Amino acid sequence: MSGGDIAAIFQGAIVTVTLSFIGILIGLPIGLGLALLRWANVPFAAKVVTLYVSILRATPLVTLLLLLFFALPNIGVPINPISAAILALVMNTSAFNCEVWRSALMNFPKDQYEAAQSVGMTAEQRFRRIVLPQIVRVSLPGLVNEMSLLIKVTPVLAVVGVVDITRAAVRIGAQTYEPLPPFLVAVALYAPIVFALVSLQRWIERRQVAAEAAA
Amino acid sequence: MAETSKVLDVAGVSKRFGDIEVLSDVSFQVDKGETICVLGPSGSGKSTLLRCINWLERPDAGQIYLNGERIGINNAGIVMGDRELSKIRTRIGMVFQHFALWPHLTVLQNLMEAPVQVQKRPKAEVYDEALALLAKVGLSDKRDAFPAKLSGGQKQRVGIARALAMRPDLLLFDEPTSALDPELVGEVLVVMRDLAREGMTMVIVTHEMAFARDAATRVLFLDRGRAVETGSPDRFFSNPETERARQFLQRYAGDTANNKR
Amino acid sequence: MIHDFGIVWGERALLLSGLVNTAILSALSAVAALLLGFIVTPALMSKRPAVSGAARLFVDGMRCVPFLLFAYIVYYGFPSFGIRLDNWTSGLAALTIYNAAYMAEILRGAWAVQPREPIEAGIAFGFSDIRLFRRIILPPLLLSAGPVIGNQMIQIIKDSAFLSIIALPELTHAASSIQSRHYVPFAAFITAVFLYWGLCLIIEAGVGSIGRVAEARR
Ligand SMILES: Nc1ncnc2c1ncn2[C@@H]1O[C@H](COP(=O)(O)OP(=O)(O)OP(=O)(O)O)[C@@H](O)[C@H]1O
Ligand SMILES: [Mg+2]
Repeated sequence: MSGGDIAAIFQGAIVTVTLSFIGILIGLPIGLGLALLRWANVPFAAKVVTLYVSILRATPLVTLLLLLFFALPNIGVPINPISAAILALVMNTSAFNCEVWRSALMNFPKDQYEAAQSVGMTAEQRFRRIVLPQIVRVSLPGLVNEMSLLIKVTPVLAVVGVVDITRAAVRIGAQTYEPLPPFLVAVALYAPIVFALVSLQRWIERRQVAAEAAA
Repeated sequence: MAETSKVLDVAGVSKRFGDIEVLSDVSFQVDKGETICVLGPSGSGKSTLLRCINWLERPDAGQIYLNGERIGINNAGIVMGDRELSKIRTRIGMVFQHFALWPHLTVLQNLMEAPVQVQKRPKAEVYDEALALLAKVGLSDKRDAFPAKLSGGQKQRVGIARALAMRPDLLLFDEPTSALDPELVGEVLVVMRDLAREGMTMVIVTHEMAFARDAATRVLFLDRGRAVETGSPDRFFSNPETERARQFLQRYAGDTANNKR
Repeated sequence: MIHDFGIVWGERALLLSGLVNTAILSALSAVAALLLGFIVTPALMSKRPAVSGAARLFVDGMRCVPFLLFAYIVYYGFPSFGIRLDNWTSGLAALTIYNAAYMAEILRGAWAVQPREPIEAGIAFGFSDIRLFRRIILPPLLLSAGPVIGNQMIQIIKDSAFLSIIALPELTHAASSIQSRHYVPFAAFITAVFLYWGLCLIIEAGVGSIGRVAEARR
């Protein structure tokens, strides 16, 4: 394995991180939107969201990715590997984020909401100024956990030809007939990213526990 | 060992945790049918003493005999293995402050578990006996309930019935009523009083002074790990020998008057 | 479109064998991972820093490595130590070892919140060794960890789909074969998705009933 090979894997790492980041950025608000639909019990929509989350939680990312990549062109929607990858990540992570947001919403103290109502805040004000800041805080560890899970499934994107860390590693392995070293390099790149997120999650949890103890 | 009416003989037991000596040279004996109440301030080593008796805690020095048989050290002079200890432990029933019922088993199963699984007694026999014990503690209707569904007083009565189901030679109680709401204490003490009257041999750690006064055959006063005083409850409560016991009783004086049942 | 599903229906034997393989693979590795977890958990809580440190390194290490990469390393790594494994065995080994780390962490969490007194009562009533573990310690532990173990089993099913990449003939691999043979991607993969969903619903139903059993015994 040459220096150029390692550089190729690094380039793959940039693709991986970028795609994950885009997936999270889009998936986060969509997850919140879905959670709100369920929380507010919007007729029909709430049922659809429940079904969507249940199915998506059960669907492996590989299967979802293959479905999108091969089936969308089949029904006349052309899609390239990158778009298929982002779409799959967003669908996957929005379903999980929805659950995190929803549990925060379900546990939101009702009396606070009523207090906001009693001082005459509009629904939009109540949500933006009272509910949102608090559920963001409560959801944060769960959302960070979800991010680390998302990054851990990204190697799958290589399947449809996205040149990420994994695909670079597979390619180098095939060229050099030594498949193991490139995979070890790939792990060495992934592990610190995931570890940083896991540590961030623990740090947030500890800080919140400490803040609660102080209060 | 000579035939004796002594059920329990504790001889010179000491125990330390790190730097603190929790029990120092504690000796006392319990005759068949006696009810001994162990009294003493918090942290004086009462729980540790009970736990040393059935070797849940290993004493550092001293000997403990159950019906003349040494606990914890076998005939060869070697510390007993878990199996050997288990055998002796089945002859000592224990009732816990926080009930310690097995949450995954129903009330009836809690009673039958150890007699069937450990003592290997026939299921049918144990079943009949368990039902009789539940009737005795007034919980026949709760036989199929899980512990989670019971009140504290009911849990503790199950705890006592569970210990009795082992047909133990000796029953140990560690503050059996101190985790209970005041209005539930009475129902448990009633059961314990009945056992005392029937001649069950018991060692009871308690802060219920009124109960100790009228149900105990003897009290043992423990202070900073030492058995400072022992004697009849009448003498102990009306005329304690030591200054420490006097101070202790003064603190509980109000309690004794109020809780007279 | 109906016609496409007709083609998938024609290949139902292949799909069924994929489904069965996924189910067997997941069930086997879930059980094995749980058993391994029972070995790793005491090591995690060991008083000897070398033992607990090594266990912690294993558990945290697995948490930081993507499963697909780990599967590749097992698949390509064992042969370089002279151990030849077929893709079934190496897939099963990868799934098991990887998830053992998660199971160990789950069991440690459940153990930490178990009350001590009922166990002490077990000892006082003459239980020891295996019988103490099996009859007194294990049942409440499994009841309280049940829902989280169920979630992890769903995760295992999803992880097993990665193994299609090392050509293990599980459900996603079967759907892939059907799609490449007949070019019916939508029908093939959506059928697979619904089959995965079915598996998870079964597990969720199981978790639900364990939850009800546990609720009564809390
Ligand atoms: N496992 C242990 N390790 C270290 N110290 C212990 C342990 N168990 C008990 N101790 C200490 O031994 C002393 C006696 O404890 P013990 O529980 O026997 O007191 P007690 O008389 O039962 O008190 P209480 O009335 O509060 O139950 C206490 O200072 C306690 O902190
Ligand atoms: Mg105590």
